Amino acid sequence: MTDLSVAEKDAGTAPVIELRHVDKHFGDLHVLRDVCLSVGRGEVVVVIGPSGSGKSTMCRTINRLETIDSGEILIEGQPLPQEGRELTRMRAELGMVFQQFNLFAHMSILDNVTLGPREVLGQSKEEAEKYAMELLERVGVAEQAHKVPAQLSGGQQQRAAIARSLAMRPKAMLFDEPTSALDPEMINEVLDVMVELARGGMTMIVVTHEMGFARRVADRVVFMADGQIVEEGSPDDFFDHPRSQRARDFLDSIGGH
Amino acid sequence: MSAARTLSMRDALYEAPGPKTRHRVRIGTAVSAVVVLLAIAAVIRQFWVTGQLAPRYWSLFLQWTTWRFLGQGLLGTVAVALTAGAIALVLGLTLMLGRTSGVRPLAALCRVVTDFFRGVPSLLLIYFFFFVPAQLGLKMPSFWMLALPVALAASGVLAEVFRAGVNAVPKGQVEAALSIGLSRAQTMRRVVLPQAVRYVIPSLIAQLVVVVKDTTVAYVVSFPDLMQNARVLITSYDALVSMYLVIAVIYILINYAINKASVYVAHRTGVKIIR
Ligand SMILES: Nc1ncnc2c1ncn2[C@@H]1O[C@H](COP(=O)(O)OP(=O)(O)O)[C@@H](O)[C@H]1O
Ligand SMILES: [Mg+2]
Repeated sequence: MTDLSVAEKDAGTAPVIELRHVDKHFGDLHVLRDVCLSVGRGEVVVVIGPSGSGKSTMCRTINRLETIDSGEILIEGQPLPQEGRELTRMRAELGMVFQQFNLFAHMSILDNVTLGPREVLGQSKEEAEKYAMELLERVGVAEQAHKVPAQLSGGQQQRAAIARSLAMRPKAMLFDEPTSALDPEMINEVLDVMVELARGGMTMIVVTHEMGFARRVADRVVFMADGQIVEEGSPDDFFDHPRSQRARDFLDSIGGH
Repeated sequence: MSAARTLSMRDALYEAPGPKTRHRVRIGTAVSAVVVLLAIAAVIRQFWVTGQLAPRYWSLFLQWTTWRFLGQGLLGTVAVALTAGAIALVLGLTLMLGRTSGVRPLAALCRVVTDFFRGVPSLLLIYFFFFVPAQLGLKMPSFWMLALPVALAASGVLAEVFRAGVNAVPKGQVEAALSIGLSRAQTMRRVVLPQAVRYVIPSLIAQLVVVVKDTTVAYVVSFPDLMQNARVLITSYDALVSMYLVIAVIYILINYAINKASVYVAHRTGVKIIR
């Protein structure tokens, strides 16, 4: 399904997302240590690592839900804006999917998906709803369009949340453990949507421990521990021949290889 | 997780009663009903003994003019309470937005103002509006001498109520809104406030009831509200107990109506997730 592909804009050859020597502290805690990461157009990068290793924080710095202490974050070669309209515009261009879905609890699913396009992109109600229904159709929750989030299952909520991000026609998508809060039987319905997105050419950073997913669609796996990127490589290389002891221990602990 | 979400607070705090509990509840209900009836009987008997039930204290309620005068007072009470309530809502919201704006001096100012109005008794504010504008040579209608101070006093509380509501909205809602490119202001308006208001509807109702009760000191500024008109009738008919009983019932009915109306409004605005 190429329908889910990104609107290709010519932005030269710069990586879509690039982190250069990013450092961040929470008080005394050094949560990101000299993190360097570059994600090219259409690339799918899976981030994996023990709890507390800074994966969420890294994702959140990319659309500035968290600030950084030093280093640089570039989006299509441009420094991440620090405030104002430039920042909100940049955030609109980066989709983010959260572990807890975070659908707006007081709105119908349809309103969740049209809020951004109407408020930020200035689309008309009709225009926004037409595209929203298309997206909800694709992620398989069109029937639920007029319900509020609490009436949906977790899997349906997460798919609706993905549709909400897609409605902004983002350049890249950040997924922070999108299936960790789901009952096991709902994980695949969400992963399927993500696989389709990846195949459609979406640039993605996905924090997940779903190795099947990583092997199927990841171009690269990045292993983080203690705020550092310890190693990266192709999924097969990483899962079958982890180089560092930390990665081996971690893979053992989650029942890997 | 959706199961936990739809569980209402009442369900969470009280288990559904079992057969033994139901039995005990039935006995308790019967006993308390008897006690209440006995108490009412004792009060009526006491009124009878002291002569409060004599026709001369009650015959005024057979006159059309009594009810018209009380009705005019009631309209005054309703007008002042609605005006004060509306001002307090707007001002309370403004104070809260200022306080949470992140602009230091503005936040500090709003905090001081909020704490001041919240801390000062409304009667003191009424005296202020009664004396100070007059001292400065300003003529202020008694309607505003009552409505403004009552509104200010309530705005301090409402600012805090709204702030509690805003704080109760999960952080993830804000992050999701920011991540699709909404500005701070848009996030507040479209995502946070609508949810915050739903959380605090019970407290808003409680505060509107306080506003109605605050207006009963209208005599200070001689505004003809229900209480003031009742006092006039009390002096002219020398019917203190009967009159106070009747208007107490009227005030209870007003506040009952406020409760009913707000529950209705809450349902109309589709509060499905928060009970
Ligand atoms: N807002 C915060 N304030 C203080 N410490 C935080 C905050 N958010 C995360 N942390 C800490 O930073 C570390 C990294 O957290 P996180 O990025 O969430 O890790 P991961 O997503 O890999 O589990 C953890 O030790 C966590 O406790
Ligand atoms: Mg995390």
